[in-house]
This record gives sequence, C-alpha cells and structure tokens, in this order.
Amino acid sequence: MVNLTIDGKEITVSKTATIYEAAKEAGIDIPVLCYAKKLLPYGACRVCLVEVEQMKGRLIPSCTTPVTEGMVVTTMSDEIQKVRKTVLEFLLVNHVIDCPVCDKGGECDLQDLTYEYEVVTNRFEGEKFDLPTDEVNPLIERNMNRCVLCGKCVRVCDEIVGYGSYSFINRGFETKIATAFDRGLNCEFCGQCVSMCPVGAILPRPFKFKARPWQIKEVDSVCSYCGNGCTITMGVKDNKVQTIRFNDKIGVNDGNLCIRGRFGYSYANSDDRLTTPLIKKDGELVEASWDEALEAVAEGFKKAAADKGVGIISGARLTNEELFLLKNVAKAIGTENLDHSGGECYKGVTEGLVETLGVKASTGTFPQVEDADVILSIRSDFYETHPVFGMVVNQAVKRNEAQLFIVADKKGKFGKLPNAETLLHKPALEVNVLNAMAQALIEDGSAVTDGVDGLDELKKSLADYAPEKVAAATGVPAEQIKAAAKALAGANKSAILLAYGLPYTAQSKEIAVAAANLAILSGNVDKEGSNLYLCGEKANSQGAIDLGVIPAGSGQGAQQMLDAAAAGSLSALYVVGEDMVTSYPDREKVEKALDGAGFVVAQDLFLSPTAQKADVVLPAASFAEKDGTFTNAERRIQRVHPGITSPGEAKTDYAIFELLANKLGAGLSYTGPAAVFAALANEVDAYKGVEFNAIGAQGVVWGGEELKAATKKVVPVKGAAAVDGKFVLLTGSALYHSGTVSTHAKGPVAVVPEAYVEFGSEDATVLQVADGDMIKIKANGAEVQLKAKVDKRLPQGVVFAPYHFAEAGLNKLYKGEAAIAVEVSK
Amino acid sequence: MIKEFIQGLLITLKYLGPGHTTTVQYPRKGHRLQPSDRFRGLHRLVPDHDREKCVACYLCPTVCPAKCITVESAENEKGEKYPKVYKIDLLRCIFCGYCVEACPVEAIEMTGDYELANYHRDDFTFDKKRLVR
Ligand code: SF4
Ligand code: SF4
Ligand code: SF4
Ligand code: SF4
Ligand code: SF4
Ligand code: FES
Repeated sequence: MVNLTIDGKEITVSKTATIYEAAKEAGIDIPVLCYAKKLLPYGACRVCLVEVEQMKGRLIPSCTTPVTEGMVVTTMSDEIQKVRKTVLEFLLVNHVIDCPVCDKGGECDLQDLTYEYEVVTNRFEGEKFDLPTDEVNPLIERNMNRCVLCGKCVRVCDEIVGYGSYSFINRGFETKIATAFDRGLNCEFCGQCVSMCPVGAILPRPFKFKARPWQIKEVDSVCSYCGNGCTITMGVKDNKVQTIRFNDKIGVNDGNLCIRGRFGYSYANSDDRLTTPLIKKDGELVEASWDEALEAVAEGFKKAAADKGVGIISGARLTNEELFLLKNVAKAIGTENLDHSGGECYKGVTEGLVETLGVKASTGTFPQVEDADVILSIRSDFYETHPVFGMVVNQAVKRNEAQLFIVADKKGKFGKLPNAETLLHKPALEVNVLNAMAQALIEDGSAVTDGVDGLDELKKSLADYAPEKVAAATGVPAEQIKAAAKALAGANKSAILLAYGLPYTAQSKEIAVAAANLAILSGNVDKEGSNLYLCGEKANSQGAIDLGVIPAGSGQGAQQMLDAAAAGSLSALYVVGEDMVTSYPDREKVEKALDGAGFVVAQDLFLSPTAQKADVVLPAASFAEKDGTFTNAERRIQRVHPGITSPGEAKTDYAIFELLANKLGAGLSYTGPAAVFAALANEVDAYKGVEFNAIGAQGVVWGGEELKAATKKVVPVKGAAAVDGKFVLLTGSALYHSGTVSTHAKGPVAVVPEAYVEFGSEDATVLQVADGDMIKIKANGAEVQLKAKVDKRLPQGVVFAPYHFAEAGLNKLYKGEAAIAVEVSK
Repeated sequence: MIKEFIQGLLITLKYLGPGHTTTVQYPRKGHRLQPSDRFRGLHRLVPDHDREKCVACYLCPTVCPAKCITVESAENEKGEKYPKVYKIDLLRCIFCGYCVEACPVEAIEMTGDYELANYHRDDFTFDKKRLVR
C-alpha cells in the first residue's frame, strides 16, 4: 500500500495503481481519452495531465504514472486547464465536427471535454480530415475522420480479443488507424472496438441513426446464447431492443461480448416471430385463441397420458423458474419423460463428472482462469462456442504468460496465441490423447495419487495408451503429449476447459471421464485456484442440469423418447424452445418421431421446421421479454430482466406453463418469478439460501468460488478408433452462431448467412475447390449440398460444417458420431 | 409650457386622423399585420436543395419544454441522416423558440405566421409537408 495526497486529500492505494486510478478511487475526476480500465496503460492523448510536486517543471500523464509514497498530486490548476484545452484544440484541428449526424453525440468523450473546457475557438488551423468511411460490412461502421488516435480499438482487438484487426499506419498528421491493407473490416465482429472508441469513429451500423443515447432506456440482462452468461445491457426504445450498450460495470464479462451477444439481439424484434397460437386443422396450422389452444393441448396430453404416454423435451434457454414450472407441468401431466438438449451431450458429461469428481458443474469461476499458468482446452472449438471465455484465456496467455495446450482436431484461433501449442489429433481421438497424457504422468511418476480411488484399474487400462502408441494412432507427437502432461502437473494453477453441446454428442461421457482423470492425476483437483470448467452450450444449460430437467425414475431421455415416438409407443411430444428437426443429430429419426407421436405441441418463437410438424404451436417469448434467472457455466445465478413486451399474443414460457398447469387441473399459481425461485431453492440443494431479490449485479455463485470435488476417483475409459475414409466430416459450432436462434438474428446472419462446408487449403488445392463452389457431401445414405469455404484451420482429409442452419440438413448425415466418413464431390 | 402641451396634443390628434391609425380592422380582408422580425409564430423547416436542411439531430425535441416535437431519423439513399418524420403539435407548443435556438444547422425558424386557429385537433399537427416551405 502507498500513501499519497491528491488535491489535498490523503489516500492509501495499492502500489500497482496509477495516479488516475488512485484519484478515481478517491472520487476525484481526471479526464481521459485513451485510458480504459481493461487495457494496459498507453498514454497517447495527454488530456489526463496532472501536477506532481515531486516532479515539478512538467506535467505528468496520470494514466500511466504509478503512484509512489508521499506523492503530492494536483489535478487542476490554471496551467493544467490551459494545457488540456490546448490538447483539445489540437484534436479539433482536423476533426470534422459532425455532431448533429454523429451517433456518438451525447456520449462522446471529445464532445463532453470540448464543452467542459469551453473550447469555442481554435488558435490552430488545418485541413479537416476527408477520409473515406468503411461501410463494407453490415455491422461496424468506421469513420476515421472522427478518430482521435487514442489506440483503444487497436489495443482491445489485440490485447483482449486476440484478433488484431487494426494498426496505426503513416506518420504525423497522416497517421490513421487502418485494417490490413486498408481494406474493409472483416473480423469476428465482436464489437469490442465499438464499445472502446471514445468518439464516433467506430459505430454499430444496425443502430445507425436510430436514436440518441439519452432517448434510450437501459435494461441489464443476460445474453441468451451461450453458457458464458455475459451481461448485456439492452438499449430499448419504442418497445424494441435497438442496440446493446457497453457495460463493464457489472457481470462477469468486463463489457466484452461476442458477435452473438453484441449483434444477435435482433431476433427478439424479428417480424417472423409467432404472435398467436396455431392449431392444425385439416393439415394446416391456423390461428387460434389461447383458450382454444390450451384446451386442445390439455385435452391432447390427458388423452396421451392415458394411452402410451407423453414426452417432454425442452431447450436450455428457459429461465430456471420456467424449467421448474415445466417440471411441475410434467407432474401434472403425469409423465417422467422429461429431458433437455438431446443427443444426450449433457448427460454423458455430467455422468462422467459425477462418477469421478462427484460434481456436475465447473469447479471454479472465470477470473481464476486469468491467473492460471497452464490451461488445457479440450477441442479448439472452445473459442467458437464460448468466445468471451476465450477472451479470458487470451488474457491469461498474453498478459500473464500462461501456457496454453489445445487438444483439438483442427487448428483454431487459440493455437495462434503466443505460448500456445495445439495437440492436433485425428478426428474423434480426444480421449486417446487425454489418456496418453494421464499415462505420461503415471509413467514419469509425477501423477498425484494420494487419496485417489480406482488407481489400479486405471493403470491397467492406460497401459494401452502409452504416449508413443497414441502418437502413432492420433498423429500427436509423443514428446508433445508428455510435455503437455508435465506442464499441467507442474502448474501452480491450472485450468482444464471442456465445452459440450448438441453438435458434440459423441463420447461425451468418455471425454468427461478422461478430463477428470487428468484433472485428478495432474493435481488440478487439489490445488487452490486450479479448476475444471464444464461449459454448456446454451445460456441456461447449467441451470437445467442443476434443476434436474432430466428423466426421473423410469422416465425416458430425449433419445429414448424419440425412438419410442418413432416406433409408435409414445403418444405425445411436447417440445419447448428447441428446433429438434434442425439441431438434433439424425434428422430422419426426429422427423419420424414427430410423425409417429400422435400429438405434438411445439412452444417456440418461430415457426421452425419442428413447429411446422406440430398439432398445436404456442408462441413464446424471447429472453428480452423475460424476468427470471439463468445459471452460467461457472455456476453463477444471474438475473434476467425484461426490456420489452412480447409481440402480439405471445407469452413467456412462464405464463404458458402456469396456464397449462391450471388447464390440467394442477393449480399452479405463484406471485411471480421470485416466488417460483423460492420454491425451487427449497428443492434444489445448491440453490438453498439464495434469494431471488438479493441476486445482485454480480449474481450469486452457488457452491462458492471454488467447488470442492466430492470424490477423487479415476475411472478407466476407452478411447476411440480413427475414422477411416478419404474425407472425414466434423460438425460443430461456428463462432458467429449459437444453436438455431441466431439464424433469425440479423447480425450473425449478415456475416454468416448460410451453411457451408469448410476445407483446409491443401485439400482445396487438390480438389480444386474455391470459396462459393457447391459441394456434394455423401454419408450415411444421404447427401447434402453446401457452399465451400476455404480456410487454413483444417488438416488434410478433414472437412467441417456448422450445424445451425435448417435448410442445410446437415443432420441428415450427422447421426451423433464424433466424425463421419464422407464422400466429397463437386 | 402651454405651447409644448398643445404640440404634444397635436401629435396625438394626428394619429386619430385617417392614414395614421395603428388599429386595424381585423380579420377584415386585406388587413394583415406585419409582425416584427423577432415575432415567434408558426415554425418553418428550411429547405435545402432537394430536401429539408434538418439533419434529425434530435436537439429540438430534446430541448422543447412542451415536448411537442416528434422527430424520427433515418438514412436516405445517399447515406445521409434525415428526418423521416418531423411533426410539431401546435396545441402544445408554447412558442418559446428554444428549438430555433438549439438547432445546430439553422434548419428551423419561426415565421411571422400567426393565423393558427383551426377546426380540428388534427389540423394542429404540422408535419413535414406543412412545415417545409
Ligand atoms: S466524434 Fe464526438 S465530437 Fe466528433 S462529431 Fe462525433 S459526437 Fe461530435
Ligand atoms: S469487432 Fe472485434 S475482432 Fe473486429 S476489429 Fe473490432 S475488436 Fe477486433
Ligand atoms: S478509431 Fe476510436 S478507438 Fe480507434 S484510435 Fe480512433 S478514436 Fe481511438
Ligand atoms: S454468446 Fe456467450 S460469449 Fe457471446 S456474448 Fe453471449 S454469453 Fe457472451
Ligand atoms: S435541431 Fe435542427 S437539425 Fe436538429 S432535429 Fe431540430 S430542426 Fe432538425
Ligand atoms: S488518458 Fe492519459 S494519456 Fe490518454
């Protein structure tokens, strides 16, 4: 701690603080332009100059100068005032004063400072910038005529996002920020540069000319896409989410978002939203009243329950309260067939973790990853499924020099980080590599074995996974496997990251067990600050697991329900918030199930391919219309707040479940989400003691910052065999999309509008495939046609296609395998 | 003393005679008042080439104490910001002139037009068509 005096106020701050930060802590305002809390100090703009008694004779930039003991700082004097004014005058020499048409007007730092320092005339004269604007892409508009060269965009894209779109080019008055070769921006479109720019030089295009900042109502909520649980602050006007506002004050994401959170909100405003209930009459879905529809649903379910039973399959983007009500609806119907996210991706992973560690969730929280010195990411797709968690990893690697290992079947963005090594294996062999790492630890005696159960069997089974042997099968050099294992075991603090989701259903239990084995043997489980992270694909995947939205007793899981329905031994299906036809593995089976079940009810925002097959369709509400809680991948229970009302007669799932339960005669009635939460907290141990209204801006992490593993049991687990075939197809998530909802959101669709098949550049050359060529892909007796995309991520013989798009029909080929041997032709 | 008094009275008397009176027979036809330049009457949106000068900056609706101005901005074919909607509800307007003062591009003025009575409520809504003159 250091003591210093600022403007006569004596304060004590940490010795790593800068003068600016110290002043801020003391409630003293110093103006800044190029400073940002999450970026490294830079000192480019000089508006933060202050006087320090010990350094008389010149003014000191407060944002870069660390505090020292006994420092006496003055933040305002005539001279400081004059110098700051001069700095502003300089900035305004070339600045086009576009304020009336500049969307930043009203929250522009330059505008505010100009006003505050009364810069009404300029002693200097110069030509105004006249640079072309970059409006090639549909999401981010760049107007360099308004740039003040603070470098925040350059730094955020490099330091945090790890993408590196921008750099300074030219010198002197000609200096400007440019993309590579000064072409239009083409990047991840995460919008971090938009939120960092202190002026109107980088703006969100979908919000262009829509409103002034002061006209907008800000509503804090949680992103509905992935399990990262980023806080998003909706900018609401005219009952529409107009934009997502920058907010680094609350939540887990430090104001960082990915394209889905930043630009994917617009599905809530979509004209395609369902606005009335629909009932199938003579093969056509026709509009109906709520009363009619609910009557039909209740009737249908009662009949089906008395016949061969009802199956309920839910998505994982419902709030905890809604999932709880759904369980009650299931009880009212009298069925135990209740499940979420088919393909059973979540089921295997949780079973695996329960068997080994006795937990069903991440053991740590995100900030701990930033301090880790070794990180193991299983699957390179981790950045794609959880981009903002990916940014945490970026910072751990770039700032804190963590060593990053990626066990993956393709090269990804992670692999490009300094200190990153990709253990690039043949498709489907993750478990083999993880086993080999475990074996390497056992071989060299560095494995932690104290208090570990099941060691002997594990040792026996791992004999087949000597690194050398696995190297031959997987293509990962034995040395690399050993080095990675050694680093992991030697780490002071390590993090093991594992994501799951609908496109990663194969071997989920095996991967979870292998990862947990490795966590135990490497000491990750025992060390403080070392954790295993289990990251669900959807916003409330963890909540669904916590609440036990899974088959109870003799109930059937999603796959069993589909099998049963297809075979005619289940009479009704209730599909809530999931487009199974598009996203579940094996479309044929799903379609057969929907045809085979006598009565199908779909509850969704859109008339999805699944809803089209339903007998009754109930229009539901988006996250922007809901009140409740989500639980993110670090077990953080966070509040979701409604910003807008639902279109037409659409209702929240909460309201629908309540009405339906009452129609079923269950008399479900709560005063609101708080009451439902109280009821669920009573039933779910982990949520005990958490109060709905006490969930603050940072949420509540159930189980505490570090969840202790209940058991330490290593379990033998078998790897897979490599998939034979000239080409092997992998499916998964694309960075720009999440699930199927994002295909209704303008932002993500503007960047990736349709399905594609990705080739590595080597294969593309051999096959003479270029971007945009139509490619036929055949496997499992089906064929799909997709546009080609060529990139450098994929090794030879591997092709990749994202699973989000309904029309593409990828799940005609994908039946739940880790990798599929395919025939590829033009 | 008396002389000055008579002189003064004469001036007064002069203004009683025809041609000098300031009282007009209003609203008899042809009798229009010419208010001073500073008079604050009906607004006018200043035209500029093929469009209005207004750039839909939202300052006038923001400053308006009577909250009677509605602006909706949009992008035109040339990529410029323009007011897709510009409306003043004269029934609420208090003719303070703040909008004129706030406008950064001198796109709104107040004219000497004072004949604003009308028969229907709707007639008091002045949209772009009626304001751009
Ligand atoms: S960047 Fe700021 S100062 Fe420059 S035109 Fe926009 S609002 Fe005005
Ligand atoms: S949107 Fe994100 S990736 Fe693209 S330039 Fe900005 S910060 Fe970089
Ligand atoms: S574009 Fe914005 S963030 Fe980037 S240097 Fe210019 S002013 Fe700073
Ligand atoms: S999709 Fe995930 S990472 Fe992206 S903003 Fe939403 S919660 Fe954050
Ligand atoms: S202040 Fe002027 S430019 Fe701005 S909206 Fe009003 S009339 Fe238009
Ligand atoms: S804020 Fe300190 S130099 Fe820019």
